Amino acid sequence: MVTGAADSGRQTRAMRTDLLREIWINRADYLYVLPAIVVMLIVIAYPIYYTIDLSFYKTPPGLQLKDKSFVGLDNYTAILSSSVVWRVSINTVIWTLGSTVIAFVLGFALALALHRDFFGRAILRAIFIIPWVISAVAASYIWKWIYHSDFGIIGVVLVQLGLVDRPPNFIDSVNTVLPALIVVNIWREFPFVMIMMMAGLQTVPEQLLRAAQVDGASAWQRFWHVTFPHLSGVSTVTILLLAVANFNSFVIPWIMTGGGPANASHIWITHIYELAFGRQLWGVASAYSVLLFIILMTLGYFYVRALSRGERGRPAA
Amino acid sequence: MTRLKSGCAVARGAVAPALIASLLSTSAFGAPVDLSKWSPEYVRSIAGTEEFDTAEACGKVTPLDYKGHLTFWYQGVFEGDPDLLRQYYKDFFESFRQTYPNIQLEEQALTYNDLLDKFRTALLGNAAPMAVRLQILGGTEFASKGYLEPLKPEDVGWSTEDFWPGAMKAVTWDGVTYGIPTNNETMALIWNADIFKRAGLNPDSPPATWDDVVAYSKQINEKLGIAGYGLVARKNAGNTPYRFMPQLWGYGGGVFDEADPNPNYGEIRLNSEASKRALQASYDMYVRDKSVPVSALTNQQADNQPLFVAGQLGMMISHPSDYNVMLDLQKKATGADKDKAQTVIDNMRYGLIPTGPDGKRAVVFGGSNIHILKPEYVEGGKVDEPAAKAIICFWTSPEWSLKMAYAGSNPGNLNGFKTKWMKERLDNIKFLDVTTSMLPYGIPFPALPQAPEIMNIIVPDMLQNALTGAMTVDQAADDAAEKVKKVMGDGGL
Amino acid sequence: MSSQTSVSKPRRIRLDGWRWVGRFFLVLMLIYTALPMVWMVLTSIKSGFAAMAFPPEWWPDEPTLASYRNLLDPQNSVGKDFLQFFWNSLLVSILTTILAVLVAVPAAYAFSRFSFPGRQFLYFSVLLRNMFPAVIFLVPLFILMRFLGLVNTHGSLVLTYLTFGLPLAIWLLKGFYDNIPVQLEQAARIDGATRLQAFILIVMPLSVPGIIATAIYSFIGAWNEYIYAYTFLSKNDQLTLPVGVQRFFSENTTDFPGLMAASFMMSVPVVVLFLVLQRYFVRALTEGAVKH
Repeated sequence: MVTGAADSGRQTRAMRTDLLREIWINRADYLYVLPAIVVMLIVIAYPIYYTIDLSFYKTPPGLQLKDKSFVGLDNYTAILSSSVVWRVSINTVIWTLGSTVIAFVLGFALALALHRDFFGRAILRAIFIIPWVISAVAASYIWKWIYHSDFGIIGVVLVQLGLVDRPPNFIDSVNTVLPALIVVNIWREFPFVMIMMMAGLQTVPEQLLRAAQVDGASAWQRFWHVTFPHLSGVSTVTILLLAVANFNSFVIPWIMTGGGPANASHIWITHIYELAFGRQLWGVASAYSVLLFIILMTLGYFYVRALSRGERGRPAA
Repeated sequence: MTRLKSGCAVARGAVAPALIASLLSTSAFGAPVDLSKWSPEYVRSIAGTEEFDTAEACGKVTPLDYKGHLTFWYQGVFEGDPDLLRQYYKDFFESFRQTYPNIQLEEQALTYNDLLDKFRTALLGNAAPMAVRLQILGGTEFASKGYLEPLKPEDVGWSTEDFWPGAMKAVTWDGVTYGIPTNNETMALIWNADIFKRAGLNPDSPPATWDDVVAYSKQINEKLGIAGYGLVARKNAGNTPYRFMPQLWGYGGGVFDEADPNPNYGEIRLNSEASKRALQASYDMYVRDKSVPVSALTNQQADNQPLFVAGQLGMMISHPSDYNVMLDLQKKATGADKDKAQTVIDNMRYGLIPTGPDGKRAVVFGGSNIHILKPEYVEGGKVDEPAAKAIICFWTSPEWSLKMAYAGSNPGNLNGFKTKWMKERLDNIKFLDVTTSMLPYGIPFPALPQAPEIMNIIVPDMLQNALTGAMTVDQAADDAAEKVKKVMGDGGL
Repeated sequence: MSSQTSVSKPRRIRLDGWRWVGRFFLVLMLIYTALPMVWMVLTSIKSGFAAMAFPPEWWPDEPTLASYRNLLDPQNSVGKDFLQFFWNSLLVSILTTILAVLVAVPAAYAFSRFSFPGRQFLYFSVLLRNMFPAVIFLVPLFILMRFLGLVNTHGSLVLTYLTFGLPLAIWLLKGFYDNIPVQLEQAARIDGATRLQAFILIVMPLSVPGIIATAIYSFIGAWNEYIYAYTFLSKNDQLTLPVGVQRFFSENTTDFPGLMAASFMMSVPVVVLFLVLQRYFVRALTEGAVKH
């Protein structure tokens, strides 16, 4: 056994030897990461293979899955030429962008507003965190009840205030359903941004801010030129984590509307679920999933880059 | 409400004469049951006339000391179901375990909307149970794909003639029988006489036609500010087709020719003029008059029940067991709510489902069937057939097919009508007559593997497209017809 | 910038403007955050009819705890199921949490300290797990779980949930270890400790906030997961809360007070847990991942 420092010294020597020998020398290190890698492999490798493989087959809903037939890229061309896909894609983009951007702005603003100490700050902070912890299932039920087109509290209040004649329709209308669901999603996500940014704000050096103040920088200038650049790393990570989570969200639209009414709240994931489970077009659903992988992998490239920023520059301890 | 959604095709044909013609066409299964004689009076006359010994009958199929192991899924009862029915389910499994003490039974209840998803997933992973009780809408799909073993009433000691001929046809695919009906049922119209009176309508007469439903709903909404008719249009919920199809058929429309005496499902009629008129009626209520719950697109029948018992809804299409659901809700209510609920129950009326403009009356013939799986799809790769037959014999016996359908459905095994429990039931359950009178008007869902997708996705989509204004009524109907065509072809996208 | 307002005298008026904007914003956010929760609690103490009264009763005329009694009474069937689901959720979440910590801690430490070949690649592969949408893997994972004999066991859920929490947990912990001076371990090694001993005796105690943060994150994720629990389990007595609650309320007659009471009860454990331990969470982020 060697320490990390000895490790790095040894690395320079090992560069000249062949890879296998290096792996052999470091074999004890792998034991540390082995459990994590094994768990990941078990849960990911086979499903990826299965999904990619199935995406090249036609799986007629009237037959068993094993009676599939190879069709090459037909499923992909069928998806790309279908009109539904574009509608669902537009919904997905609105959903992901809307949720991510607004949740980020609100969460960041809250972190700023709560940065300075004042009476009741701890309580406020605690309250603001709760939505993130509540399960998406519970949140969906709560909001569905709030939005209820006949008894929802929002509609009722608006009627009582005399602003409208009858309760406005939130989730039973094609025009408002997606924004209404985004509001729910943001409700669950802004606290995460708040926590991340609060942690980030604590790492902004006070001296820099004070120096800027001495130089006569206004509050806005100090924020824009000192605080914000310092937070770019944590902001990128937060935004990417949110974006990935939003691309993959399922529970809120599925429980609240099932993708309806008239498909107005279908996003990729709910659409794939319906294709696979509701309509049993497993091949098409798999091809859809592969397309989604590709998009997410692109996002993932930036995500990994952001998470490991400075990684290469840093000597291995 | 499990049984509200439960579907089981039985009698074919829309009106009694047409039905008899169709029954003759099913005579391959034996002497046809003459449905026309199944009037409420006839049912009363045979109730309590015979005794059956379930243990003795099933003992001949599988010896009572048989040692075995059985996994069994059933679309079962849950918290929202009447207490009475839940008690019978409990009694059933207790009684089975007493009768067959050496069969180790693992039973799992699943809700209607979960069952298809879970069962399909289980089949893909070869992790299905040995026996399953499914809603009719699913049976054909699994039979046509070859998941099910052939199974007919004779295999468990009953006779095919003991079951409704149409019900037998619904468990038949390509000439082979793949299951046995456990229960069969039809729904009726339920209304609140007090609301009718206050809205200036005749409290004792239900709307005669679907056009009347539209007009009554409007009047109730205008006079009282509450919802008139309990429309439901949620996707992937069994309630939606059960409530819309009677309307579609009433106006003379259909997805195919399923409402005709001898359907062959060749012609798509979802965009016919008659079908469009039916869709227009829903449009008129939801969009033009705004006389139905706005939440209809995201809600299902389960959301209408509390509305109805709270006196916030004038009428709805309903299962006979709703009477017991209302009694339970009333029992659980507290304070002033209790009286309010009692008023609703006192004013609850059941009637025949309205007709179309030409006097055509139709209802979905619902119910459930019980099946045995092929071993290769079952967890462990083995099916304990005697054990499976034992529980199937038990459930489809006169005694238990009646008891398990006690609160609202009808026994799949017609001898159930002759038991003493049927007599007791006629005295205890109000409005049973009305649903029995609906039996001759029952139309099964098309017996096609594609039926679940058509009924759970395409039809609700059509409703939602029209009701949200995403499409006009014409466009929505044409769009749905196009989708049906694709589904019947190669699956489409 | 509220954080600097108090120090800057000459700009008093303008800064007060910022402060008022901040306050107004806080009030709006408070309404947005709290209203759904308040309405959930208020609905849960109403009777079924009062929940549907129009106009609504803001404060119920006859508040009742009937819905809660119903859920928590092991004598009746709803309560029996609910308590069973609650216990299942707790079991699955605790197991997931323990395993997540056991797996993530050594992995993060190795990614931070060691430089074995393929380190970068493996690290990135672990992080990429979150790229795969859950829904897509339902069927292949079901087949896999059956192969492993885990269908209808809580093991299938624990194994799956483990992989959800790991990427963020490893990333978070690695950031934490990166900021613990390596000299501490070196000193211990000089005193004769092995590498493993130095890790367990010196580094582990210092990384407690990071470990707590990892644990909270895994627990919340497991407690709230829905779609895998829905697919992998079909036995009623094994269901976890998100699936169980959905099953006995929405599928049948909709009882809004009951549903809201169940949502409330389902939220209590994670909210309490998080509020008690949240300072560790923020500290772990501050001292670890966010710091550069």
